Amino acid sequence: MKLQLLAVLMMGAALAPAHADVMGVDENAPVSEETGIKLAPGFRATVFADGIGSARHMAAAENGWVYVALMKPQDGFGAVALHDSNGDGVADERVPFAEGMIGTGMGINNGFLYYAEDERVMRWPLPEAGAPKGEPEMIIEGFPNKRQHSAKPFTFDADGHIYVNIGAPSNACMEKMRTKGSPGMDPCPILEDFGGVWRFDANKAGQTQADGVRYATGIRNAMAIDWNPHAGALYIAQHGRDQLNTFFPDYFTDEDNARLPAEEFHRVDEGANLGWPYSYVDPEIEGRMKMPEYGGDGKMTSDIGQSPLIAFPGHWAPNDLMFPRTAALPDDMQQGAFIAFHGSWNRAPKPQAGYRVVFVPMNANGEVSGDWVTFADGFAGEEPVMSPRNAKHRPTGLAEGPDGAIYISSLMSGGRVWKVVYDGK
Amino acid sequence: MMANNFVVALAVLTLSGGALAQDDEADGGTGQALYEANCAACHQYDGGGVPMMQPELILSPKANGDVGEVIDMILLGSAAVPAGMSEYSNEMPAFDYLSDEDIALIASYVRTHFDNTGGAVTAADVSERRALHSGE
Repeated sequence: MKLQLLAVLMMGAALAPAHADVMGVDENAPVSEETGIKLAPGFRATVFADGIGSARHMAAAENGWVYVALMKPQDGFGAVALHDSNGDGVADERVPFAEGMIGTGMGINNGFLYYAEDERVMRWPLPEAGAPKGEPEMIIEGFPNKRQHSAKPFTFDADGHIYVNIGAPSNACMEKMRTKGSPGMDPCPILEDFGGVWRFDANKAGQTQADGVRYATGIRNAMAIDWNPHAGALYIAQHGRDQLNTFFPDYFTDEDNARLPAEEFHRVDEGANLGWPYSYVDPEIEGRMKMPEYGGDGKMTSDIGQSPLIAFPGHWAPNDLMFPRTAALPDDMQQGAFIAFHGSWNRAPKPQAGYRVVFVPMNANGEVSGDWVTFADGFAGEEPVMSPRNAKHRPTGLAEGPDGAIYISSLMSGGRVWKVVYDGK
Repeated sequence: MMANNFVVALAVLTLSGGALAQDDEADGGTGQALYEANCAACHQYDGGGVPMMQPELILSPKANGDVGEVIDMILLGSAAVPAGMSEYSNEMPAFDYLSDEDIALIASYVRTHFDNTGGAVTAADVSERRALHSGE
């Protein structure tokens, strides 16, 4: 009797909506004509910079300069420094740097500006203003030259370490790359050198991957990676695998594939295994699911990999994660997580989805404390998006300014950065 | 509309011409059906591709170029593009297990749709490219 009551109570707790005090975007609100997006109540945006190129990850310095990695060189440069000198919310200084490079990571730590290409991570002394000067110091070099999931976003802890995403150059570790019905390699050899987060000394030049420690494994690709300074732990959001219906039509319909697998948000402690390529998450089923390349049929569960904190809808493509560090946001947002979703491509022939920035309420222990909400939306400019090229903007990067402003980047339509501030109105 | 009719006509011709499709499942498939089954997940149903990830096929130089260019992409996948020459981060598998007829139908569909005017190719064209790549 008591057990039954407990079970009922537990079910009730699981079903009842958590009480987040944070308000998300009003779905019925119009998109701002000036900025092309709409925001959670109390926030307003300006177009900080337009036409800067393929903007991805960003970092903002104490002096207000914002550094943006460009995934395609713009006039030959792989990054740009932006600054708003008159405080109107629009950058009026724009200085390109990283000539001849392609930026897939950007961060600030210990007085240095860090920048990553697919094959290396480097740094410059943080300049007093403008772009960094001189030759960068190579911190980690020689990552293998791969195409799939080769971007190297990174983050830092408070103890002098840099954590680098080393994505798997693969969809699901198939024996034959992205080929219908191919089984998965077992064990998956890719996990030896890829498919995880590696930790390095943030201040030591000339390291290679062999100098690093594989901090966590089973991570297909974590474009969204940040150290949670409140909980003192690494967090990531990872891209789930593609094409369940294409490769396994006996088990997955187009509808199933639009929904599956979930995009996973995790706390990642040392030694964590997130399950790729052996398992994935179906939000409607408890635990993790066995990947079809490894004998799964859409119904079989797997005991490989930890469960995510949140299972976001399929294919939304989390591209950046940011924990705010200033006290500018309302109290109930200061310890939470912002996640920029780039938006899907693998929901066709169903409508694409997910071109938005969400906010996850969290407590000081790094636990999710309420339902996630959409923080910024309207980027795509048309609904529904049937083909990704029709999305006007796709969020790619996040950064917090010294004043608590939140910067959001997009690489579409020539590249744009928004500055979002809280004014409580 | 004309282009659609053309592909259907090509399919009928190919099949009634007695050419044996090696892939039973794909027998009778039109270029569009084959495209949607094998290509559209990545290149999208409208041929729009995915910016930075998978090339768009609309007004594609390959689909308006030499007869072999689209065929080679289907036969070889990303391997058809020299390393470091691609602006796209995803990799394309080889679809060399499809029959010459099916590859011809797909290549013809791509070369006569998505604003492309490269024109149709034949199973013999595919066979020729296949032989070339295998060093025969």
